[in-house]
Amino acid sequence: MLDKLAERLQYIFNKIREKGKISEYDIKQSLREIKLALLEADVNYQVVKEFINRLEQQASGEVLSKTLTPGQQIIKITHGILAEILGEKQNKIKFNDKGQTIILLIGLQGSGKTTTAAKLALSIKNQGFKPLLVAVDRVRPAAVEQLLIMGRKAGVDVFTGVPNKRILDTIHDAEQWARKHRFDVIIIDTAGRLHIDQELIQELKDIKNSLEVQETLLVLDALMGQDALRVAHDFNKEVGVDGYILTKLDGDARGGVALSIKSLTNLPIKLAGVGEKITDLEPFYPDRIASRILGMGDTLTLIEKLEANYARDEMQNMARKEFREQFNINDFYEQLKKIKNIGSLENVFNMMPAQFIGSLKGIKQSIGNEEKALSKVEAIICSMTKKERLEPDVINGSRRRRIAKGSGTSVSDVNRLLNQFFKMKKFLKQQIGKKSLIPFMR
Amino acid sequence: MLFSNAVQEKNVFLERVEELLLSSDLGPRTTNEILEYFKAIDLHQFKINDYNYFKKQLKKILLDIIPVKNDTLKIDPEILNIILIMGVNGTGKTSFAGKLAYYFKNQGWNSLLVPADTFRAGAIEQLTCLSKLAGVETLRTSANSDPASVVFDGIQSAKAKKKVLLIIDTAGRLHTYHNLMKELEKIERVIIKNAPEARLQNILVIDASTGQNALIQAATFQKSLKVSSIALTKLDGTAKGGIVLSIQKELSIPVDFITFGEKITDLCQYEPDKFIETLLD
Repeated sequence: MLDKLAERLQYIFNKIREKGKISEYDIKQSLREIKLALLEADVNYQVVKEFINRLEQQASGEVLSKTLTPGQQIIKITHGILAEILGEKQNKIKFNDKGQTIILLIGLQGSGKTTTAAKLALSIKNQGFKPLLVAVDRVRPAAVEQLLIMGRKAGVDVFTGVPNKRILDTIHDAEQWARKHRFDVIIIDTAGRLHIDQELIQELKDIKNSLEVQETLLVLDALMGQDALRVAHDFNKEVGVDGYILTKLDGDARGGVALSIKSLTNLPIKLAGVGEKITDLEPFYPDRIASRILGMGDTLTLIEKLEANYARDEMQNMARKEFREQFNINDFYEQLKKIKNIGSLENVFNMMPAQFIGSLKGIKQSIGNEEKALSKVEAIICSMTKKERLEPDVINGSRRRRIAKGSGTSVSDVNRLLNQFFKMKKFLKQQIGKKSLIPFMR
Repeated sequence: MLFSNAVQEKNVFLERVEELLLSSDLGPRTTNEILEYFKAIDLHQFKINDYNYFKKQLKKILLDIIPVKNDTLKIDPEILNIILIMGVNGTGKTSFAGKLAYYFKNQGWNSLLVPADTFRAGAIEQLTCLSKLAGVETLRTSANSDPASVVFDGIQSAKAKKKVLLIIDTAGRLHTYHNLMKELEKIERVIIKNAPEARLQNILVIDASTGQNALIQAATFQKSLKVSSIALTKLDGTAKGGIVLSIQKELSIPVDFITFGEKITDLCQYEPDKFIETLLD
């Protein structure tokens, strides 16, 4: 999601990193490029201005006094500022220990409230609660039907109430009903509304006044531009917001919204919508995002995903020295298959450190879309003999031709795969002695 | 207000212009281009405190760098006209489809709406409700059927009923999903194959609050199929939708319609003059 911005910044950094001396002009040039990158990523222009000002001040202040090269210095300062903007710990949803937790979802039209409501309900259900969805979007035609269907998919009950009743009364009915039937979390899906629509904003205020709402979450579209900040600000001022849910992060938005709202409203982004499936809602880890923008890879998120999917002993197995030394094509194949279970390759790539992504992206780009890529890799590996898989060094030219024929691919496909394998093996060997649980991912 | 009496210096002036343009989502590139124009102007002769004068100048520049299109979307009564509505999730495609049907109904063209968004729960019901408001028919179909086959049915039905206009609402898709873009291409193929004589116009719906990503959206959709024009939705908010100017400039895709509210009547044709006027207000 944020990789485009990350790529741009890294490109800029790479240019200055190599320089031993940096002139005033270099700094100016870099600042201009950083500014452009941030603006194209839809970071709010006020935030950009402040960012650049601070960077300029700090960069001109202390460049010469340190042992770092001036280029490294600028990178360090940028990292510091970014980390300061984004860099808090993850913020979870607060639950009421003593009784019902009420979560109110609000936002503009089309930001993804109803979809998010169902995703959130499922995630809360999986945490061991008993959630109830409440549909009070009476404005958009068929919104209630949508929530009913989504609720059914999530396996969560949906309270719709009587169509002609006032919304506030419906919510009270839902609360009563939830109490009676022992639901401990109530998620209210409201109609999309503009932040400047006084009448509808009042409706939200009324809901908050008459109920004890634990979490008012503003659902924001990550594709938004400069207006995002104003929307966040207005909703917060009028209704009061406890945090954000950023949606459509599976697109290629460059994450300006995340940077902007965090920087200027200082409210946390709690969750992120990352796909069309009902399970595609993730906690938002600001510090990891900051690292990712600067190219350190979101290793922590990946490890968490892997842990959920890997058996523990397997991970210990991978951490063993012999495993790393004897890494062969069978292991390689196993890893690929597991990655497939974790999610799209794209997701996995996004989470790995920059140095490693390059080689993996190579596989993907050369073969096209990910499903195909994997089946092609599978075909190639299945066309190898047992011996070839265990000792890939024996695969010479004629064996490569045979494998290509057998798998219906070309010799260059086979070469590419082997190249990637050897790169990975080399990488693993370099990692020997390091403690990482999943060596090749680090 | 852009100017105060204290503000005379050129740099401060340029910075304010930059702020104005950036905050309307015009994007840094177009903004810089416009700033170059102002840098070239001798500000001594420029009435720096006269906002109306400034606005006029800026409007001239904008109209200068943005290509103006001449042919708006028209209906040819002799043949079948097909409008395919597409875009990323939550931009307001379904609402736009309803409004468009109503708009053409008022011009005397009774359309058939085709709910080819069989993915999002409730989308078919939503379009059916809207079609009742618009006073037009919706093709009956069931959720989870293949969108291309729904479109096929739509074309057959339109031919049987001798309709002049077919409006197809598709599911929201992020342009980053390869498979979903392929699905859209398939829909277009089905149309071309089954109604080769028809006039097909593909309208990309863009939410006015979208930032620079809209440019990437338009470019990516354009790669899959021809984008005839853009419909800019949700202009009733505080977002100005300036990105469509950059889209027109970079990709030469015209804007045909704008929408600005939840009522079925809240749609009108795009007028560059007026649009730029509100952008600068």
